[in-house]
Amino acid sequence: MVSINDLKRINSYEWEIPQSYRADMRVPVRIFASEELLKGVTRDKSLEQAVNACALPGLVGSVMVMPDMHQGYGFPIGGVAATKYPQGVISPGGIGYDINCGVRLLGSRLSYQETKPYLDELATALNQFCPSGVGKSGHLRLSTKEVEDVCREGSRWAKKKGYASDQDLRRTEEGGRIQGADPRYLSPRALNRGTNQVGSLGAGNHFIEIDLVAEIYDHQAAQVMGLRAGDLALQIHCGSRGLGHQVCSDYVKSLQQVVHRYGIELPDRSLVCAPLDSPEGEAYLSAMVCAANYAFANRQVLSYYAREAFESVLAGKVSDWHLYQIYDVAHNIGKIETHQIGGKSIQVCVHRKGATRAFGPGADDLPSEYKKIGQPVLVPGSMGTSSWVLRGTKEAMKRSLGSCCHGAGRVMSRTQAKKTIWGEDLRKQLERDGINIRAGSMAGLAEEAPAAYKDVDLVVDTVIGAGIAAKVARLKPLVVIKG
Amino acid sequence: MIENKRAGFEELAHTADLEIRVWGKDMVSLFRQAAAGMIHLSDVEGLMEGISSVQQDISLEAMDFEGLLILFLEELLYRLTEDYMVYEILKLSITSDYTLKAKLKGAQIKSYQRDIKAVTYHNLNIRTTADGYEVNIVFDI
Repeated sequence: MVSINDLKRINSYEWEIPQSYRADMRVPVRIFASEELLKGVTRDKSLEQAVNACALPGLVGSVMVMPDMHQGYGFPIGGVAATKYPQGVISPGGIGYDINCGVRLLGSRLSYQETKPYLDELATALNQFCPSGVGKSGHLRLSTKEVEDVCREGSRWAKKKGYASDQDLRRTEEGGRIQGADPRYLSPRALNRGTNQVGSLGAGNHFIEIDLVAEIYDHQAAQVMGLRAGDLALQIHCGSRGLGHQVCSDYVKSLQQVVHRYGIELPDRSLVCAPLDSPEGEAYLSAMVCAANYAFANRQVLSYYAREAFESVLAGKVSDWHLYQIYDVAHNIGKIETHQIGGKSIQVCVHRKGATRAFGPGADDLPSEYKKIGQPVLVPGSMGTSSWVLRGTKEAMKRSLGSCCHGAGRVMSRTQAKKTIWGEDLRKQLERDGINIRAGSMAGLAEEAPAAYKDVDLVVDTVIGAGIAAKVARLKPLVVIKG
Repeated sequence: MIENKRAGFEELAHTADLEIRVWGKDMVSLFRQAAAGMIHLSDVEGLMEGISSVQQDISLEAMDFEGLLILFLEELLYRLTEDYMVYEILKLSITSDYTLKAKLKGAQIKSYQRDIKAVTYHNLNIRTTADGYEVNIVFDI
């Protein structure tokens, strides 16, 4: 077990586990955490898992972990690792089972005061229009051929079908469609699982939330994004559903044999990988891109349903009920990007597992309106606590491969949460705090209780302190829809 | 929870995912308990007996027992999440060259309360004990 004594303090917000800590490490671990948060993370296996990830061939820089880190499988959640492209490896376990799980933020011109009387109706409508819950399908039934189109085209497919605007696509990471998707690399099971889940939320920690823009910290950036204090906003958190899970399962399984063929030794089988320029590595990358595009389309269709829900309740009662896209960003993904590492410009495959891309001002992939301020970085808090809108900085490009935290991060196990917290009590407590909750399962609700998570404000203070993001706005939840 | 000295499973604490420890007197009972453990975690509701009871044979092959265990659990998980079917394992045989044959009897369910995304390879290692075998399995949820 890694202890605090094994860490080298770089500054108040950065720590290092040197490469000398264990013989199989190819790079050091860089930890973004305050001393207070660090004490919490040494209780689980997240740092040990970060050390394991350091054994992957072709790593450059260091394996980084964000302050919301917690124990996962293979990689820790909150991990960021870059491998040299194309000689280095790609590891499905460094991306996760829910490929392109991510967050979308929509803004509005609805003031809290004028919308307050309709919040309960909005909660009901969102719950009706946006399919959610364990194993629940969406409204659409696609043929496997159409699923292939979704995988190739992502949000562009959604636009063709009338579910998206130009602005929606422009304000999505990669325009909602990553190049290089080839559905031939998907198994029949993966395609089959994709036929009925476009436009469905799923369960677990996924949610749709109506928020109040509670506080603005950067007026210029907030103005560019269209965020005004006192207005409502909407967040959608979900991913690629069963199709993505199947892609990850399929490739973690098939790569078990491949690692031996390439002579790669790993401390944990869930870290299996393949060289990016090998047939197996290319196949996984392409299948992963298919799932990522599916997830972009999924969040896009859910946004369409959310807009319909708002229209059904508010049309004729307020003057403008439109929800407009602020940004959509992935936090479980592998991306081919160019970064300055060790004074050189290198093409790398950045694995982000529970970490959000946070590109600084001027970055290529940003729409013109965000080029000046940097990419919006969406950091949802735990249920019932604040969420944050941050922006990427130049410093993030230098220090964290343009990456940042993705949420609060769990501290309490689900078994413990269920033992100590009753779903019904929690719902009453949240309602007393003025939060309207619609949940599929009370036990599921207890597992996602705020007490099971770190304090998101401390996590955000750390990334701000480290300089890898800047505060734009704080959001306060009003309505939460959970599967 | 099915539990006794010779064969059983128990849920362990894991920060974000789910972990079970499974034990059995031989490979067959270990695999049976692992399947029972996974279905227990899925929190299946409303077994619709007699409505759609089907028998099916499955045959799986892997490179080692751990790989075989994952294949077996994934097979049952896929059928649960996609077809809303749970299975009674009528017959199960596992050979030393890592092949598995099973005769299953399936029944339709109304719903399940927890979405297991995947059975992971995380630290998956079937260990020999004084009473047989044991293994820890982490499920991503």
